[in-house]
Amino acid sequence: MALEQFSDVVQRCQAVQDEKFSPADFDLFQTAGKTCIEQGDSAQVLSIIVDERNKDIVRCMGWNLLEPIVKVLLSKEDRNLPHCHAILTHLLQTCSPKELLVGLLEQVEEADSDTIPEAIILLLKPLQTVLLKLGVRKASSVGMALSTLLAQVAQLPVPLSKEQEEDDVFGLCRCCTELLLFIRPFVEEVKENLNNNRGFSRNDELRGEILKFCMKSLSEPLLEVQLKDPDALEKSPLRDFASEILVILSSIGESLPDLLCHSVLRKREVPGFMEEEVRYPKESLASLAHLLFVKHIAMERFPAVLSPVFLLQCNMEYIELLLSRTEESRVQKGLELYEKTLVRVEDGSLPVDLLDLKTFFSVPQNLVKVMTLCPVQNLRTKGLSVFQLSIDKFNTEAKYKFFRCMLRTSEHAGVEGYIIKNIKTQIDSALRPGYGNEWFLGKHLLPLLHQVLCLPQGPETDLLHNLDRIMESLNLLRYLLIRDKEWQNETGVWSELYRMEENFLKPLRTGLNMSKAHYEAELKSAKENKRSSGTEAKAPTCTVTVGNESLPNMTPEMQLQVLQSALYTFDLMESVLARIEEIAEARGRV
Amino acid sequence: MTAEEVANDGNSIPMEGEDITPKKDGGVLKLVKKEGTGTELPMTGDKVFVHYVGTLLDGTQFDSSRDRGEKFSFELGKGQVIKAWDIGVATMRIGEICQLFCKPEYAYGAAGSPPKIPPNSTLIFQVELFEFHGEDITDEEDGGIVRRIITKGEGYTKPNEGASVDVHLEGQYEGRVFDDRDLKFEVGDGENLDLPPGVEKALQAMEQGEESLFTIKPKYGFGNTGYAKFNIPPGATLQYKIKLTAFEKAKESWEMNTCEKLEQSTIVKEKGTQYFKDGKYKQAAVQYKRIVSWLEHESSLQGEDEEKAKALRLAAHLNLSMCYLKLHDPNPALENCDKALELSANNEKALFRRGEALFVMKEFERAKDDFQRVIQLYPSNKAAKSQVVLCQKHIKEQHEKDKRLYANMFQKFAERDAKKEAEQAKKEPDSAMEIEENGAQEQTAA
Repeated sequence: MALEQFSDVVQRCQAVQDEKFSPADFDLFQTAGKTCIEQGDSAQVLSIIVDERNKDIVRCMGWNLLEPIVKVLLSKEDRNLPHCHAILTHLLQTCSPKELLVGLLEQVEEADSDTIPEAIILLLKPLQTVLLKLGVRKASSVGMALSTLLAQVAQLPVPLSKEQEEDDVFGLCRCCTELLLFIRPFVEEVKENLNNNRGFSRNDELRGEILKFCMKSLSEPLLEVQLKDPDALEKSPLRDFASEILVILSSIGESLPDLLCHSVLRKREVPGFMEEEVRYPKESLASLAHLLFVKHIAMERFPAVLSPVFLLQCNMEYIELLLSRTEESRVQKGLELYEKTLVRVEDGSLPVDLLDLKTFFSVPQNLVKVMTLCPVQNLRTKGLSVFQLSIDKFNTEAKYKFFRCMLRTSEHAGVEGYIIKNIKTQIDSALRPGYGNEWFLGKHLLPLLHQVLCLPQGPETDLLHNLDRIMESLNLLRYLLIRDKEWQNETGVWSELYRMEENFLKPLRTGLNMSKAHYEAELKSAKENKRSSGTEAKAPTCTVTVGNESLPNMTPEMQLQVLQSALYTFDLMESVLARIEEIAEARGRV
Repeated sequence: MTAEEVANDGNSIPMEGEDITPKKDGGVLKLVKKEGTGTELPMTGDKVFVHYVGTLLDGTQFDSSRDRGEKFSFELGKGQVIKAWDIGVATMRIGEICQLFCKPEYAYGAAGSPPKIPPNSTLIFQVELFEFHGEDITDEEDGGIVRRIITKGEGYTKPNEGASVDVHLEGQYEGRVFDDRDLKFEVGDGENLDLPPGVEKALQAMEQGEESLFTIKPKYGFGNTGYAKFNIPPGATLQYKIKLTAFEKAKESWEMNTCEKLEQSTIVKEKGTQYFKDGKYKQAAVQYKRIVSWLEHESSLQGEDEEKAKALRLAAHLNLSMCYLKLHDPNPALENCDKALELSANNEKALFRRGEALFVMKEFERAKDDFQRVIQLYPSNKAAKSQVVLCQKHIKEQHEKDKRLYANMFQKFAERDAKKEAEQAKKEPDSAMEIEENGAQEQTAA
């Protein structure tokens, strides 16, 4: 039936002059042709379309058959495969490349996540053939094809382990490899243009499309992927993809150092400067930086004369971006990039002026968020070690300023405690003979000490919430009073002790007494409750939620434990405080 | 220091040359291999173009711009490259080829440069200088303002628009000094002080304490009209020697705690409003932007403070959008309206101004949507009503234009559609006239 219709419409059309086929003919050709191929009559369809008399008809309408043919080819239905291959080949030779392009891209778009790899691998070669036929005016079509292909590839799940990359169940690796083959002739053409013109014109459209493709690939899929090192996985298609993308970039006249330094060397923020951001998306450049400095990919194309501080300045832009995200892969890459860039810098060498740069403020802020809020344990730990590394790289004055700013802005007792511990280390080193400096002794140190040694809300400060900060402050003060003898007073702590007593020790003493009394009373009443309620004691006394998730209910036993441990903490605090008071009282008697 | 003095264990390249370090510590030795032809040396800040080959002491080549096939360029004396290079290249003339022998302290030190340069490596470079020129500081990179640094400044910050600066400047035209003054003013105010726009651009590229010579093309100078007061003819290229003695750095957001940020924001808002009233929209925008940068990422606020911050941010975005509309810069105006609407979903001013911005951008459909939202929410807004009418007029015009355009683009489809329409027209005689007209029009356009 369908076959008859198909040969009818073709016969009717043979009589039509000048390709003026009616819309009805188009429709019938398409629906009948489709049915024939679906029903397995592809051999007959083939014989009709290769018929010389039908050449014009096929040229105009043939591309409508792409859909059913591609379906058969993808389903790998043995019987009809050779015929459908032959039909496809014939269409590619006969039809207009523009219509074929639209038809083929439609098929790429139609593929769902199961068939994406097969569809892409099947259609890449035909697409390439069609695009090459378009001659010099193909740039925008190449661009359209590349963006359609990448959008599909980006949907594929990224392999996580080495085994997953080797097995390539979802086909990402194969697709990436095939894409490189696909793009090769176009890259060659751009290279040739560059060589012929000696230097490049920014307006080479094809070059622009390839640049766009590379930039897109860097962010998706490459920013998602954790590449394996060569000693872990010897042959890695994804690593090859990454390095090939960087090679393509430099071969089309985009120098890697210029790309990396892009945002730093641009004169200044140009508001609403959209085009640059589109051409060189920051996220793609961040991925580039990570590939270069963490994975050492294409490093042989990167000049080895740039200074470590300059590279840090450039990379800070990308570290800022990566650490501002919440996806694990981004945060991890941000931490790795920060670490590797810092390691290149000499300890104690970064000048204070750097802290005037916006990124040197926002990166630590982001890092604090990672250290305190990131749900992944090893990222938090890594965050802390990178945070310490960054402190180590500052020179003395920069450390000083950094500590002051962090104490003002971090608003997290744990982080503040950590900074105070660092202050102690710095004072300790400044007190060593020959290491004295003006920032962590005497005049400059005092304002910093006053910033540390205080209770923000006086005696009402929540001591448990601020535990880390208070304990470190107490440790610092105790250390100072023991290490710096009163007659030497290098740190100046002895002359200002009265203020510290006023602002810190006294309110802390009061706060401790109040808190202890309160918790003791709570403990007592909890115990009584437990005794009086007897068997019902198993009933929960309070509920705790963290991030909107209810934790298991708190039983009276647990409540008692919590209260008890709070009291132990206060005891601990009190013992250090008592020691300090003791030393302070002994003052002048020596 | 000569080859004999330095222990030289089996390497292929002898350590020799002139010590060119300021400290005379032998950290960078230079040996001229081929004399240059130029007379001038590059200055600090100049963009220099070189080819180089780098090797380790054992002769291993670790890097070569010649192998990469592209010259390497950088800005001299700004710490972009290892110390040995900033010192070494500054002594070269165009055409010169020299060997630089660099101790680790002047190269990558104890850290090395993974993966290619191991820790504590002495590096040997063969460098050829091809060209150098003053740094072009225009955004468009059109060579309109070129800087040669006489004395390098300090720090990494530069005065923004709105920053108050202390400068000494000397303007020259064809060897005649026409302006020689000490000035203290706010960047953006230059016009009132007989300064061409190029000078203000120049200032924004300078560091504290820097002294530089700027060559300013007419476009950034006094243009095609000249400037009678200074006796400058039309189309004159000017030279300004500027020394930036000091500038007031705005307190950075991270040096303030939340309370201070709120306080400062209120002050700055007043300042912005004053500028706005004086018609100084650029300066006003600078002030409002500071509020946004201070409060945008402030997440720790609660209760009353949170409300206060929100109100300040809303006001800042609304005022910014107004400033940009006044400055005929619709993109940032639009962005600020969007931000304002994030804070206050149905804000009348934000919707109206976004409509205005879209209108300037010729996005009449979307502009109309916004104005209609305004009318729907605030029926008394008459201005919005007249804007809608205006939009509709433009939409109609644009529609006509598009039709002609698309007709060209989709020639084939248009023809086919025309046929279809023609057929339909036969079936529906009532609407025949209208469709015939359309069909005919498309065909002629095609």
